[in-house]
Amino acid sequence: MNPPDAAVSATSNPANKGQHGRRLRQRCVANRWFYFLLAPFFLLFFIFGLYPLLFSLYLSFLRWDALSPATWVGLSNFAALAQDELFFVSLKNTLLLGLYHIPPMMLLAFVFAVLLDRQCLKLKGLWRAAVFFPAITPMVVIAIVFSLLFGAELGLVNYLWWRAAAVVGVEAGVLPWLQSESWSKVTVSLLLVWRWTGYNMVIMLAGLQGIDRSLYEAAEVDGATRLQRLTQVTMPLMRPTFLFVFVMSMIGTVYMFDEVFVLTKGGPGVSSTNVGLFLFDEGFGAFRFGYASAAGYSVAAGLFLATLLVLKMGRKDHTA
Amino acid sequence: MAAGVRKMKIGGSWKSYAVLAGAALLFAFPGYWLTSSAVKTQDRIFANPPEVLPWPVAWSNFADVYAETRIVRAFFNTVLIAGCQVALTLLVCSMAGLAFARYRDAPGHKWLFALTLGTMMIPVAVTTIPVFIMLSQFGLINTYWGMILPGAANAFGVFWMRQYISQNVPRALYDAAEIDGAGHLTTYWCVVLPVIRPAMAALGVLVLINSWNNLMWAFIVLRTPDMQTMPLLIYMLQGEQGTPYGQVMAAGLLAAAPLVCAFLLFQRAFIGGVTAGAVKG
Repeated sequence: MNPPDAAVSATSNPANKGQHGRRLRQRCVANRWFYFLLAPFFLLFFIFGLYPLLFSLYLSFLRWDALSPATWVGLSNFAALAQDELFFVSLKNTLLLGLYHIPPMMLLAFVFAVLLDRQCLKLKGLWRAAVFFPAITPMVVIAIVFSLLFGAELGLVNYLWWRAAAVVGVEAGVLPWLQSESWSKVTVSLLLVWRWTGYNMVIMLAGLQGIDRSLYEAAEVDGATRLQRLTQVTMPLMRPTFLFVFVMSMIGTVYMFDEVFVLTKGGPGVSSTNVGLFLFDEGFGAFRFGYASAAGYSVAAGLFLATLLVLKMGRKDHTA
Repeated sequence: MAAGVRKMKIGGSWKSYAVLAGAALLFAFPGYWLTSSAVKTQDRIFANPPEVLPWPVAWSNFADVYAETRIVRAFFNTVLIAGCQVALTLLVCSMAGLAFARYRDAPGHKWLFALTLGTMMIPVAVTTIPVFIMLSQFGLINTYWGMILPGAANAFGVFWMRQYISQNVPRALYDAAEIDGAGHLTTYWCVVLPVIRPAMAALGVLVLINSWNNLMWAFIVLRTPDMQTMPLLIYMLQGEQGTPYGQVMAAGLLAAAPLVCAFLLFQRAFIGGVTAGAVKG
């Protein structure tokens, strides 16, 4: 096989240059099907991936609403972003939404995965299907169903709440699931838990099935209880899977759109506007293309760093 | 008593079943509420106390949504867009995956693959605006192509196909095909594709779910009622002056049903589509 750096050695030795150039050409011709097979993907990728990525960077230095001509404004979009109160509110909301929904979702997903991983369990397909199916239903539909269920006066959830309180003998008012600035994030988080638990359960189940069963047997021989096996054997080995699920959920919460767009429209006020909705509103609500691109780039860069940090911390703990 | 002990041994404890049954009910409940609301009239959807069993069944919502929206067209649009996007993505990704798996010593292999891996990290939120501007300039706003093309360059799919082909298609198979006089495209179509069918099914399912349920891109690209997809139609049914919830639920049931039915039939492929990304990635 040819060394991969043939082109480099060709330039370092001018005497062989012609020969190496010829050989490179021969290799290209011999592998022409490599380029033919790649062509459709890279054509689409350059048009809809790489070019937009660079174009977006360029846009972030412009003020442009797509109607009037664009003007070069340098870094002022980024400066304005640093002063934008709504941007920081959306960051805070994103953080809170993540804090509210990721821990309970991961806990539930793990518990269900452990239960489903038992070889002796009956009706495995049924349980898995019931918990997983939210991941394939159209979000817009279920968000509207949630808005009915959590409606203030006539929603089923408040009705049950009211009945339960009456049974205990307490006078209960309606809970403002979608009407109060402090409750809207809770309701969105419930929707997120409902939506993503099954999806992450399936991922965790795959992680559990990758664990060598003989480790459990060894632990059992050593006299470990079921709980000890779970905390001493399973959970340390599941750390990479937990990390993966956490990072994907974190990224998902930042860019999430359908859930808040349909269920709360980011409100009441801006109490449930996350970063994804903020970016959408700036771009396609206000048509501030330059500003939205600057915000998008800043968020992507920050999230990239945050992801690296989380991965590094997660791995370090693992080896320690 | 003895029977009880035996049951515990083969079936796990009753507590696990109680937890699982409770969870299954809770998670399935919004689906049930969607279905039952679809067959209630508007006033019964907001009945107090809430009507848990939708009896008698009212089909009027389906008739109304058929009469007042272009729902048949929207369903057709959704099928067409999702179908084309799945087909195009599978074709493009499997070709590129084969290229990366088979022609290891082609000049440029290394950095083209690195470029592909790097693009897996490009967030859609960054490219949405430029792609929208480009589509406007090409005249692709409010067209099927505007919905289908932007998502088709799926770097993750290429990576996945490359892994699967490397692991499941031995090099001897390429040589055998060449000796038999099969061209490179024939080898792709007749030798490689049959082997990678499970991975194609799983990737196809993943693309299908995203494409079928996509609201944001439909909202940005599609403008006229005859181009709407099901998610957009449902979103647009919500009105400033009150929403016809019965119609929304009927349309929602029709939008959700195909994927849920397919999921129940092909659970393995669906689960495979979800986990492959996590396990391989």
